[in-house]
Amino acid sequence: MAVAYSGGVIMGADSRVSTGTYVANRVSDKVTAIHDKIYLCRSGSAADTQAVSDYVRHYLGAHAIECGRPPLVKTAANLCKRICYANKDRLLASVIVAGVDPYEGGSVYVIPLGGTCAKVPFAIGGSGSTYIYGHVDHVYRPDMTKAECVDFVKTAVERAMARDGSSGGIIRLVDISAEGVQRDFVVVN
Amino acid sequence: METTTSGFSFDLCARNARLEGKAPAAMKTGTTICGVVYKDGVVLGADTRATGGSEVADKNCAKIHYLAPNIYCCGAGTAADTEKTTELIASQLDLLRLSTSTQSRVVAAVTLLKRMLFKYQGHISAALVLGGVDCKGPHLYQIYPHGSTSKLPYVTMGSGSLAAMSVFETGYRDGMAEAEAVALVKDAIFGGIFNDLGSGSNCDITIIRQGGVPEVRRGYETPNETAPLRAAYARPASLRPPVGATPVLSTLVDVFDAPQPLAL
Amino acid sequence: MSILEHNGAAIIAMAGKNCVAIGADTRFGLRMQTVATDFEKVFKMSNNVFVGLAGLATDVQTLRNLLKFRLSLYALREERDMKPEAFAALLSHLLYEKRFGPYFIEPLVAGLKDGDQPFLCGMDLIGAPVYTNDFVVSGTCTPNMNGMCESLWRPDMTPDDLFEAVSQCLLASVDRDAMSGWGAVVHVITPDGVTSKRLKGRMD
Repeated sequence: MAVAYSGGVIMGADSRVSTGTYVANRVSDKVTAIHDKIYLCRSGSAADTQAVSDYVRHYLGAHAIECGRPPLVKTAANLCKRICYANKDRLLASVIVAGVDPYEGGSVYVIPLGGTCAKVPFAIGGSGSTYIYGHVDHVYRPDMTKAECVDFVKTAVERAMARDGSSGGIIRLVDISAEGVQRDFVVVN
Repeated sequence: METTTSGFSFDLCARNARLEGKAPAAMKTGTTICGVVYKDGVVLGADTRATGGSEVADKNCAKIHYLAPNIYCCGAGTAADTEKTTELIASQLDLLRLSTSTQSRVVAAVTLLKRMLFKYQGHISAALVLGGVDCKGPHLYQIYPHGSTSKLPYVTMGSGSLAAMSVFETGYRDGMAEAEAVALVKDAIFGGIFNDLGSGSNCDITIIRQGGVPEVRRGYETPNETAPLRAAYARPASLRPPVGATPVLSTLVDVFDAPQPLAL
Repeated sequence: MSILEHNGAAIIAMAGKNCVAIGADTRFGLRMQTVATDFEKVFKMSNNVFVGLAGLATDVQTLRNLLKFRLSLYALREERDMKPEAFAALLSHLLYEKRFGPYFIEPLVAGLKDGDQPFLCGMDLIGAPVYTNDFVVSGTCTPNMNGMCESLWRPDMTPDDLFEAVSQCLLASVDRDAMSGWGAVVHVITPDGVTSKRLKGRMD
């Protein structure tokens, strides 16, 4: 999941990768960098989302060098959407693109299965997200501080991990702001 | 025709679809493979059983494949796929080294493999454990047949992966010495050999050290060797058919380099 | 039933001391009906390389022609015979090229390497090689053949002993398989020449 606060975004995810009922990787990193200050939360097929993020990282890097400035989060999200939409019958990939740029500050875009792209104040995704829609709608306020956002993400992911069998492991947190990117993790159990 | 094309040939697909019937089973490596990162390198391990259905097709096959002088790769899944995929990537890495005059990077090998496997959408069933050292240190990856990868300090794959992982989860520590790492990998492979029906025979180990030559220990430990047992056993006469025991209808002897009559 | 069992076959290759033997049954059937009893499944590729092709009969002949063609081209270009290791690699790549639409053949390669050392190699239908030092089998009764070979094979057999071992393994195995048998042929390859023998077996 990801949530925007004034001047940045907080992104969070669990760390479980499973094949059937077997946990293939219990400390994976589903919050992937696609540029210096734009990250991507992956859910769906691991192979598909890795391939999509590899393409987006490639295109975005080339685009940033051509423009000579950091890319917009909107651009990153649009690239992602184009790949997901053009290949929607072949891909099982739903992603959240979030980050900061000089124009919009912190922003969050969600790209679910069909390849829609929507700008949202916060987003949740993946199998565990269904369990926490009520929770996040109840807790979320538009004017949360950074600390409140971190707490919001942490609690929400923790609740999803507790209910969803396909989610688990640790909580990975990424804080992206104009000042830089900070990574953190929380061991829940 | 066959000599000039490259890549897979789909010539027989339509014919084979018409022949219907159950698709014949290709040889699989119901396998235990694993790897672990230690203080100054990577240790890879594998069992040596290959199966065709429930029959053991090969009692001593090599599942640790060469990719580059500093990178090796264990393969599980369809035997031909792991064999040919690693061969192909090894040759691509070789060409890359010749054109860049630098040592192969482990990520480069992983990227080439994952791109190929993703392109074939899981139809090439190669599940790999890839380990190596480069200028950035030791690296260990697991690669799934669909092309997803993860980088971890210890990984297992194949049908015996659960047995091997249980050994790793109890025995792994950060920054192990080489001897400890080798012993742990051996125990993990033994876990597969003795507890997983698809795995068996011997334990192969390859050690890739930072700044050293890789050590390929084929048959590192052979807990199921039968040759000494058989040598110690006196065969009954019925198991040594005497010369002339088989009724022969006709014999044709082709002597090489025999003087040939001159033809006019 | 698998298409590999459409025509029936039983092939064994075995190593001795400075010699190898490869033997096959001679049945050609259509499922349970025997059509011919003189069908060739083992082919001489060169003086020191023999190949046994078990599986779909149409592919046996197609692949035999293809291999002969490739080997002739090699001989013309290189002016020498192909070594058994290279031949096995060629065959393996021919099969894997058709990974997603294979020839229904599980081949065996038997030959003598440099220094007259035995070379044995088996493959599945998409070219996964199995190299052994003792014996390899292929066909519709591999459990029987593997069992017989495990019992009768011993290290460093002479050409005569090797012939008896292969023949007895083959004859005993096909007698318990409805899809193969009806005569057999065994080739013993030594550095000096090849001895080929037709065996008398049950014709039922």
